Amino acid sequence: MGPGVRKHVELLVAYAVQFIKVRLAYRADFLISTGASMLATAFAFGFLVVLFQKVPQLAGWKFEEVLFLYGFSLIPFGLFNVVSLNLYNFGNDFIIEGKFDRVLLRPVASLYQVIFEVFRIESLHEVVVGLLGVWLAASRLKLAWGPLEFVLLFFFALCGAVIYVAIFLMLTCVSFWVEDRVGVHPPVWNLIAFGRYPLSIYSGFVQFLLSWIIPFGFATYYPSVRLLGRPEFRVYAWLVPVVAATFLTMAIALWNRGVREYSSTGS
Amino acid sequence: MPDAPLISVRELSKQFRTFKRREGVWGAIQNLVKRDYRTVQAVDRVTFEIQRGDMVGYIGPNGAGKSTTIKMLTGILVPTGGEIHSNGYVPWKQRRQYVKTIGVVFGQRTQLWWDIAVIESFKLLRKIYDVPQRDYDERMELFNAVLKLNDYLHTPVRKLSLGERMRCDLAAALLHNPPILFLDEPTIGLDVVAKDHIRQFLKEINQRYRTTVLLTTHDLDDIEELCKRIMIIDHGRLLYDGPLALLKQKLLRTKQVKFVVKDSEQAARIAVLEKDGRKIEAVDHLTYRIVFDRAEVSTAELLRQILAEVEVRDLLIEDEPIEEIVKRIYAGEALKEVSA
Repeated sequence: MGPGVRKHVELLVAYAVQFIKVRLAYRADFLISTGASMLATAFAFGFLVVLFQKVPQLAGWKFEEVLFLYGFSLIPFGLFNVVSLNLYNFGNDFIIEGKFDRVLLRPVASLYQVIFEVFRIESLHEVVVGLLGVWLAASRLKLAWGPLEFVLLFFFALCGAVIYVAIFLMLTCVSFWVEDRVGVHPPVWNLIAFGRYPLSIYSGFVQFLLSWIIPFGFATYYPSVRLLGRPEFRVYAWLVPVVAATFLTMAIALWNRGVREYSSTGS
Repeated sequence: MPDAPLISVRELSKQFRTFKRREGVWGAIQNLVKRDYRTVQAVDRVTFEIQRGDMVGYIGPNGAGKSTTIKMLTGILVPTGGEIHSNGYVPWKQRRQYVKTIGVVFGQRTQLWWDIAVIESFKLLRKIYDVPQRDYDERMELFNAVLKLNDYLHTPVRKLSLGERMRCDLAAALLHNPPILFLDEPTIGLDVVAKDHIRQFLKEINQRYRTTVLLTTHDLDDIEELCKRIMIIDHGRLLYDGPLALLKQKLLRTKQVKFVVKDSEQAARIAVLEKDGRKIEAVDHLTYRIVFDRAEVSTAELLRQILAEVEVRDLLIEDEPIEEIVKRIYAGEALKEVSA
């Protein structure tokens, strides 16, 4: 296991360095894409400010608290965006165009190769902006944080990214069975935005959906509740790693079944 | 004592279940609910063995089952029947360990990263296959010497010509010095010079490392240059497995005599040779060709006639091109006498 892990980390670094080199080679493309992406984030924050000029509170949450939730939600989201590109392209590029054969010919886990082949590095700005939002909100709220909270912040963010990866990976696996050019990702992708606001503003159905079916609430809302020290749903914070691990395990199991399906049909 | 075969394939079969796709949006919805499945037997009880160091040509018309066989041998596809043992592994069961011991080139599709320089792809592959730096350097030196990679090592793959790309793909497949090399149409679309480079390289690798090579091709020159043994597959069945020379000897039906007459005066006399239903084709104004059935006409007799009638400056006797033999096999000519 030891040398295996080391090899995979080395490979990941090598893949990332390569990819960044390529990205920087197309400088204009990279700058435009980063600029557009940052503009979108800025608009979203602008919306939040406008919203709170009309309503002082949102389901008992102050502006700063929502700002915290919003900022925190960008951290796992940004991390996820960095590695998610091939999840959307998988059906087209790998199954239909046949790149998956190449993956199966290499002595490295197939999922590892697919996920870490491309990176959307410009999405790292979402992590930075998110951290800024969290810092701004936390300092205005005068949150009394110990070292544990700082550790939790990063741990939760990581769990959140894992939850996103797991959910979209399951959707990606559909390509093993169904030739899918449209993509099943967009409708679910739109649900991510729901997790940027307190779940308590939604109907019971939406709360249930975002907690137990497509658990985006565990990526953003429940961790923020714990970090803000709010009274509701405090115990849920302990479920965050459990949900992340469970969904990731299910997604990987589904992926492995998909690979077997591919190996017997060649698609 | 003969070595155990490196690759042993027994009763290998592969069936695909395909269904007819309906067109349009409504059709797509219907596809989800009800599918008319059809079973296609891509490979049908194929059995063969390959010894270490052999170079074997695997040919057949499009859709005959060549690529499906290769995909099963490389562990990409799981067989529906039969067995494969290759280099001590069952490819699809122990895929990750097994692929470390094989090299694969698909002529139609590159194994390299499209956007990055060739050398960077090689460095990544070195990490993926755990190749020690010293071995890597040594092999790169050899590849450079034979394949002349140096000129475009720093070019991204997408900017390479097909011939350059194929050389890089070959080198990439051999970086980890695998004992087995599978090539699916390695010379497709290449010009004569590039083809020759590739063939020389394969010979060199085979001699130097005793690499076992199985290659599919449509270009029978590849086979004539590289392989002593040939396997012919059609409709999923192995039609012939044996020496190329034997195939020729048994199935060779016609020969041709090509000759150049001395001058145009002699050329004018050429018609006197047109008897016994013999046909003479003019290649250019002094060169002629006679194709004859070797069972009916003795070569010596024909030559005697030609030399008696016209003054010849140059003369060449050739066998029927192997393409013609293979075409007849695909067209269904009995192979009974050969496979016996």
